[in-house]
Amino acid sequence: MTVPVNPLREGLRLARTPDPAAVVIFGGSGDLTSRKLMPALYDLAHLRQLPAAFTIIGAARGAMSDEAFRAEMHDAVAAFSRHRPLNEEVWGSFASRLRYVSTGGTGGYDELKHALEASDAEHGTGGNRLFYLATPPAAYAPIVRSLAQGGAARGGGWSRVVVEKPFGRDLASAHALTEALFEVFLEREIFRIDHYLGKETVQNILVHRFANGIFEPLWNRQYVDHVQITVAESLGVEERAGYYEQAGAIRDIVQNHLLQLLTLVAMEPPAAFDADAVREEKVKVLRALRPVAAADVAARTARGQYGAGFVDGDRVLAYRRELGVAPDSETESYAALVCYVDNWRWEGTPFYLRTGKRLPKRATEITVQFRIAPHQVFSREASAGLEPNALVIRVQPEEGISLKIGAKVPVQGVRIRSVNMDFSYGASFVVDSPDAYETLLLDALRGDATLFTRRDEVEQQWSFIDPIVEGWAAGSAPLGTYDAGTWGPVEADLLLARDGRTWRKP
Amino acid sequence: MAQAVADWGVPAKGVAAIERELARLRRERQREGRASRARSSVLDLIVFATREVHARRAAASIAELSRRHPSRAVIVLADRDAPSEPEAALTVRCDVPAPADRHELCYEQVLVRARGPIEPRIASAVIPLLVSDLPVFLWWTGTPPTGAHHFTQLAGASSRVIVDSADFARAEATLPRIAALCTAGRGRYGVTDLSWTRLTAWRELVAQLFDVADFRPYLAGVTGLRASYAVDVDGRQSHPSQALLLFGWLGSRLGWSPAEPLSSSEAGGHLFRARRVGGEPFPVRLRPHYERDLAPGDLSGVRLEAAAGGRHAMFDVDRVDREHVCVRVAIAGHPVLERVHVLPPPGVVELLGEELTIMASDPAYEEALAAAVSLG
Ligand SMILES: NC(=O)c1ccc[n+]([C@@H]2O[C@H](COP(=O)([O-])OP(=O)(O)OC[C@H]3O[C@@H](n4cnc5c(N)ncnc54)[C@H](OP(=O)(O)O)[C@@H]3O)[C@@H](O)[C@H]2O)c1
Repeated sequence: MTVPVNPLREGLRLARTPDPAAVVIFGGSGDLTSRKLMPALYDLAHLRQLPAAFTIIGAARGAMSDEAFRAEMHDAVAAFSRHRPLNEEVWGSFASRLRYVSTGGTGGYDELKHALEASDAEHGTGGNRLFYLATPPAAYAPIVRSLAQGGAARGGGWSRVVVEKPFGRDLASAHALTEALFEVFLEREIFRIDHYLGKETVQNILVHRFANGIFEPLWNRQYVDHVQITVAESLGVEERAGYYEQAGAIRDIVQNHLLQLLTLVAMEPPAAFDADAVREEKVKVLRALRPVAAADVAARTARGQYGAGFVDGDRVLAYRRELGVAPDSETESYAALVCYVDNWRWEGTPFYLRTGKRLPKRATEITVQFRIAPHQVFSREASAGLEPNALVIRVQPEEGISLKIGAKVPVQGVRIRSVNMDFSYGASFVVDSPDAYETLLLDALRGDATLFTRRDEVEQQWSFIDPIVEGWAAGSAPLGTYDAGTWGPVEADLLLARDGRTWRKP
Repeated sequence: MAQAVADWGVPAKGVAAIERELARLRRERQREGRASRARSSVLDLIVFATREVHARRAAASIAELSRRHPSRAVIVLADRDAPSEPEAALTVRCDVPAPADRHELCYEQVLVRARGPIEPRIASAVIPLLVSDLPVFLWWTGTPPTGAHHFTQLAGASSRVIVDSADFARAEATLPRIAALCTAGRGRYGVTDLSWTRLTAWRELVAQLFDVADFRPYLAGVTGLRASYAVDVDGRQSHPSQALLLFGWLGSRLGWSPAEPLSSSEAGGHLFRARRVGGEPFPVRLRPHYERDLAPGDLSGVRLEAAAGGRHAMFDVDRVDREHVCVRVAIAGHPVLERVHVLPPPGVVELLGEELTIMASDPAYEEALAAAVSLG
């Protein structure tokens, strides 16, 4: 007898725990698994949010025993979990469903298939499978093919695949990767990660916009002068030079995170907060992005690379002196661009995007700068201290929103100054929000793709980025330099100066 | 925390004076660098206590909660039998206790102390003190006098009434009155019980088991339920309300009805029979059990026995120690699942914190309570 729904679920206070499932992490011995994925899964177990029947299989080419894998994961979780110190009892029952399978030799995928069948038989995972691709991108397509050939891809329940960033390095490769995934999975089974979307604060952008009636009427070209979106990092390239040299800021941050933030700010209200409605509206924004023609690259973009300097009081190396970076590297560590969303709502309103490494501080924020009041009622000298209204949505580090408004200084006569009305998220709610990977893993297990990038989104993103990369390769918008610990190259300032504007200092 | 309630702040008379004083105190805290600049209010909380120790304990909980639920708290201390008072009186003191961490928000605390038989005046003194336009929670410590005028007035000014049946002297007798209160408040305010909140994690763990498709058929073939709850050494005082609510929850979800009224079993606790529509009656045992580390009434174990497809299954959720519970499933005598979870018994701060995030009534609670009460 099958009972389709669980009658005890109704009226529970926690969000639904996912169906029983087996998770297979390809790249199980990799850095991302140790630092993010396994700690996030353990944290979910700690919060009792994993299904009662649940197993994890780590897979990579190298040979390793289950015991060695558990020991390695134990230390990784002990170091990176949100719930420290590690609770050995919880770890014990978590680890008892942790296995390692080497896919390196012949028969590796057969073994994986057997491990999955054993999981269903012994642990009740019901044939549901979540495959997580956390290997170098070149391995994604071959892994998926081997899965299908070995018959491990499906087990009678649902099957889904989560794909780490980067998803391709241009339109052609992104397209090819999706085609390779399509040999085994349907689009609704593919979950492309942009971990920015897993951040509580980023989701909050939609809540601020669509749960509050007061902003939406002002959210258009009529009232908005321009928008600035900043993703600033104070770190340098660290250990990721191998990847970063090939990617640069434009592929590492602009193509995904910055364009995603832009779509959240610019999109129309979705009919519902579900995967299709939200992503439909987001992709419309991407389609409306005015392309950067070859002739516009110089006028609409700027790039730079950091030289030596000081960050947080410490002397830091120039990009070209970092470990693994070519001494004559032309890779940009900073990118800025001007975007236009050519639709009814935003026609003519510039969106200024920038990102960089070794900037003075880590800050992600969105500023919506409103137009100044149409007619100055107060005398010029009274309103000398007045700036236009700006709504700042801070994503990190200290999440919140502030609104700059004009107010009368308490003296005789009228003197106006700008004051900030500040709302700090941490000050109103618990600050201990879940890590992005917890949110995204749970969503993938539940089959909710709202916070993942759809095929047409990722392809639109690359269509927009490709001409910029080509223009740069052809020498447009020459690579500028900036001292580490400053707000980027002078070329980026000129980009805004042409429009009579300046970058905000976060 | 102790410092936060060392005294009840400065006296003030009249709403305007209180607001002025609170604003001054807020500025002072900011100037001292002991609190963040922003004032952010998400709710009003009225606490009703009849004894000063309860009022102080509540104030300490609120101070700890203010990080998550910055609010104005109006604490009513109704000391009916206060000695040495020449006449009935209402006095008000207010304070902005300095938070433990200087980046935290301040919350505003107002104490309304009522001495003597002046219940009729209390609501009129409290309601103007609320920050307007925020959800109002009424936390009633002790057994609520559900019929009394001042209770009705304060409940009527609130969006949610919070009680704790662990504090009731005789829960079996008081729970029906709480059920009646739920009905009376429908459409105006929701009612909840912190003993229900104590079950949230237990409910989740039990429910999770039946997400496993292979286990689900057993829900239609339950053959027995046992819920154990803690009592103190001598076992004299029994607080079965959590166990009753757990039974009520399962019963309301699975369509059980009592096959006989609630009666006390000889071994203490309750033994009775319930049945599923059209099914055989099965025994339900609510069993008091001495547990060193648990507060009286806290659930210490749940066992659901069931048969399906000719096989017998046991589903257990048991507290193994103060920090952990263990979930086990055995089918035909073979263990098929075992998992340990961290689950220390939640403190009142956590319980209250959870309830303050819920703005409306909680139908699952009301249905569980109605099912528990139907045992008569
Ligand atoms: N680390 C981060 O913070 C981070 C952040 C965002 C995105 N990502 C993305 O996540 C992915 C993994 O990054 P990482 O830093 O974890 O890399 P990593 O430390 O180099 O680990 C790569 C892992 O993949 C395994 N692997 C390689 N080829 C494989 C194959 N054909 N089949 C199965 N396993 C294979 C490797 O083990 P064997 O060599 O034994 O097979 C190793 O476990 C990359 O796509 C990266 O862009 C990483």
